[in-house]
Amino acid sequence: MTISEKDIPFIALNGVSKTYRSGSERLPIFAGLDLSIGKGEFIAVMGPSGSGKSTLLNLLAGIDQADSGSIQIGGQRLDQMGEAARSAWRAQHMGIVFQFYNLLPMLTAAENVELPLLLKSISGRVRRERVSKVLDIVGLNGRGRQSPTKMSGGQQQRVGIARAIVADPTLLLCDEPTGDLDRKSADQVLAMLGFLNRELGKTIIMVTHDPEAAAQAGRTLHLDKGVFVEDEQVMA
Amino acid sequence: MISSIRQITSMSRATLLSLPRRLAISLSMVGSIMLVVCVLCGFLAMARGFEITLQSAGSPEVAVILGGGTREETNSEIPAEVARTIMAMSEGISVVRDSRGTPLLSNEVIVPVEYRDHPDAAGEMLALRGMDPTGPDIRREVILSSGKYASPGTREIVVGAQLAATYPGFGIGEDVRLGPVVWTVSGHFSAQGSAFESELWGDIDAVRAAFNRVGEVQSLRLRLTEPSAIKQLAMAVDPLAGAQLKVLSEADLYASQSQGTSRLIQLFGWPIALLMAIGATAGALNTMMSSLSDRTAEIATARALGFNRLSAFVATWLEALLLSAVGVGLGLVLSWLTLNGWQTSTLGANNAQMSFRLVVNGDVMATAALVGIAIGAIGGALPAIAAARVPLTVALRARG
Ligand SMILES: Nc1ncnc2c1ncn2[C@@H]1O[C@H](COP(=O)(O)OP(=O)(O)OP(=O)(O)O)[C@@H](O)[C@H]1O
Ligand SMILES: [Mg+2]
Repeated sequence: MTISEKDIPFIALNGVSKTYRSGSERLPIFAGLDLSIGKGEFIAVMGPSGSGKSTLLNLLAGIDQADSGSIQIGGQRLDQMGEAARSAWRAQHMGIVFQFYNLLPMLTAAENVELPLLLKSISGRVRRERVSKVLDIVGLNGRGRQSPTKMSGGQQQRVGIARAIVADPTLLLCDEPTGDLDRKSADQVLAMLGFLNRELGKTIIMVTHDPEAAAQAGRTLHLDKGVFVEDEQVMA
Repeated sequence: MISSIRQITSMSRATLLSLPRRLAISLSMVGSIMLVVCVLCGFLAMARGFEITLQSAGSPEVAVILGGGTREETNSEIPAEVARTIMAMSEGISVVRDSRGTPLLSNEVIVPVEYRDHPDAAGEMLALRGMDPTGPDIRREVILSSGKYASPGTREIVVGAQLAATYPGFGIGEDVRLGPVVWTVSGHFSAQGSAFESELWGDIDAVRAAFNRVGEVQSLRLRLTEPSAIKQLAMAVDPLAGAQLKVLSEADLYASQSQGTSRLIQLFGWPIALLMAIGATAGALNTMMSSLSDRTAEIATARALGFNRLSAFVATWLEALLLSAVGVGLGLVLSWLTLNGWQTSTLGANNAQMSFRLVVNGDVMATAALVGIAIGAIGGALPAIAAARVPLTVALRARG
C-alpha cells in the first residue's frame, strides 16, 4: 500500500490541551484537540468570541505553548522545539497576518515588508527586489516609501500581507485579517488570499467572523467550547 | 550570525526611530544623568584642583625638616640650638649654594594672621610666612613678578599672586595691618599656581618679632643637589634625636597634606553623588519601563515574525545606554564650561586660606562618565531583560 503525499497531513495536532491560569483561576480552552490539515488547503476557522481561535493560531505559530499533546507541521514537532528554534522556524516557514496589521509605524511600508527578509542570508539588492515584487502582488507598487500611518486600513492590511509572504513561507496564519476593514477593502484582501492559495500554493489558516470571508476558504472549521463541532468540506 | 547582527541593527533602528514618541520622559532621564555627572565633576574637580595646587608646591629636591614629631608645619617646633647645629652641618650635606656660596637653607615660621581688606570687610585668615633671604631661591618655581622681596629686618611683605589678585588692598607700596602690626607691601610673586601663591612672605626676624616668637623656628628648608640626598640629610640629623626631627621632601609634605583634604572632599562628595546616582538609576528604570510598554506591541510583532530575543534585549539596552551617553556628554560639556578653572578657596594647610582652581581633567571626566553610563546600564538592564521576555501573544491581540 502506497501513501500519496496528500495523505500525510501537513499540519497535525494530536490531543492538544491548553489551559490559561491566572492565580487560582483556571480557564480551559482545549482538552485533547485533534486536527489535521493538508498542504495547500485554505481553512477558515470560525467560532464565538473566546472559543480559542486566536489561541489556536498562537499554538500553530509557536508563540504560545500547549500544556500537552503534539503539534506537527511539515514533519517537525513544534512542541518539542525550544524558544530560539521556534523563532527561527517562524522566520523560515511562516507568515502571519494580524487583525490590526501590526506594522511598525516608524518604518516605511517597504521597510516593514523587508523585516522578515532580514532574518535570512539575503543581500540588500535581492531584498529590495523581493520587496518590490510583493508590493506589486498586493497592488502597492510605488508606495514603498510611504509611511503606513498615512495609509487606509485596506492598504495597511495589504502591506501586512506583503510582509507575511515576502519570505516565501509555506504557511500563512491570519487572525481576522478583514475584521477591521470595510466591505470593499475586505473583499480585496480576501481575493488576494485566494490568489495566494490558488496560484502560489500557500497553505492558509484564517480566523474570521465573516461568513463571506469563510466562503473564500475551501474548508471551514467551527470551534466551540474547545472542539470543532462541524467540519464541512466544500467541494470546489 | 549575520542574521543576528541584522536583527539587532534593525530592531535598534526601529527603537531609536520611535524615541520621539517618548521625548519628555527620555529627556528627564538624560537630565537626571546630566545632573549626577555635573555634581560628580564638581567635587572631583575640587579634590583634583586642591591636590594639584598643593602638589605643585612641593619639589622633591627641597628637604623640609620639622621638629616635635609632627608632619605639619604649624605644629612643628625646632629648638634654636638644633637649628643652629643643622646650619653648621650644611658643609657636609649636598645642599645647593647660590653665586656667593651661601647654602640655600632657610629658617621659617608660619603664622596665621587675620586680614581685613577694608574696614568693614569680614576678617580672613591668611598665612604669613617668615623666611631667611634665601627662601625665595629655594623655591625654583617662584618668580618675583613686580617690586622686590622683603629686606631683612624690615616690616615688608611680598604677596602671592592669588592673594594679590583677590584683595585690592595688597597693591605694591600699600600699608596693610596684619594682626597687631602694619606692614608695607614691597612686591608680588607668582609660583605657577601652587599653594605658595596664597601666602604672604616676610623676613623671619621681623615676623618673629611682630608675633612674639623670637628665636622660634618651625621648619628648615634646604635645596638639595638631587632628591636622593635627602637620605644623607636624614642620617646627618639623626643624632639630634631629642628634637624628634622629621626629614621629608617638600613634595611628600604637600602630598600628605593634600591627601587629607582631598579625601575629606571625596568623603562628602561621593555619598551625595551616589545617592543621586541611585535616584537617577531609579529614574532610568522608570523611563525604560515606560519605553518598553510603549514598544511592547512592536517588539512582540517583530518577535512573532521570527526576530530573536537578543535583538529585543540589545535594542532596549542600547536605548538606555544612548540616553545615558547623551546625559553624560551634556554633563561633561556643562561641567567643563562652567567648572573648569573656576577659582575657589578653602581652609588649607596652616589654618589659613588657600585658593585653588577646579580642575576638570581627563580622569575627573572619565570617572563621572563611567558613573553616568553605569546608571543607564543598570537602569536599562531590567527593562531590556523584560523586553526579551515580552509575551508574544500580545502581538495578535494588540491594536495599532
Ligand atoms: N494569556 C491569557 N491569559 C489568560 N486568559 C487568556 C489569555 N489569552 C486568552 N485568554 C482567554 O482565553 C479565551 C480564548 O481566547 P482567544 O483569544 O483564543 O479567543 P478568540 O476565539 O480568538 O476570541 P475573539 O473572537 O474574541 O478573538 C478568552 O476567554 C480569553 O480571555
Ligand atoms: Mg481572537
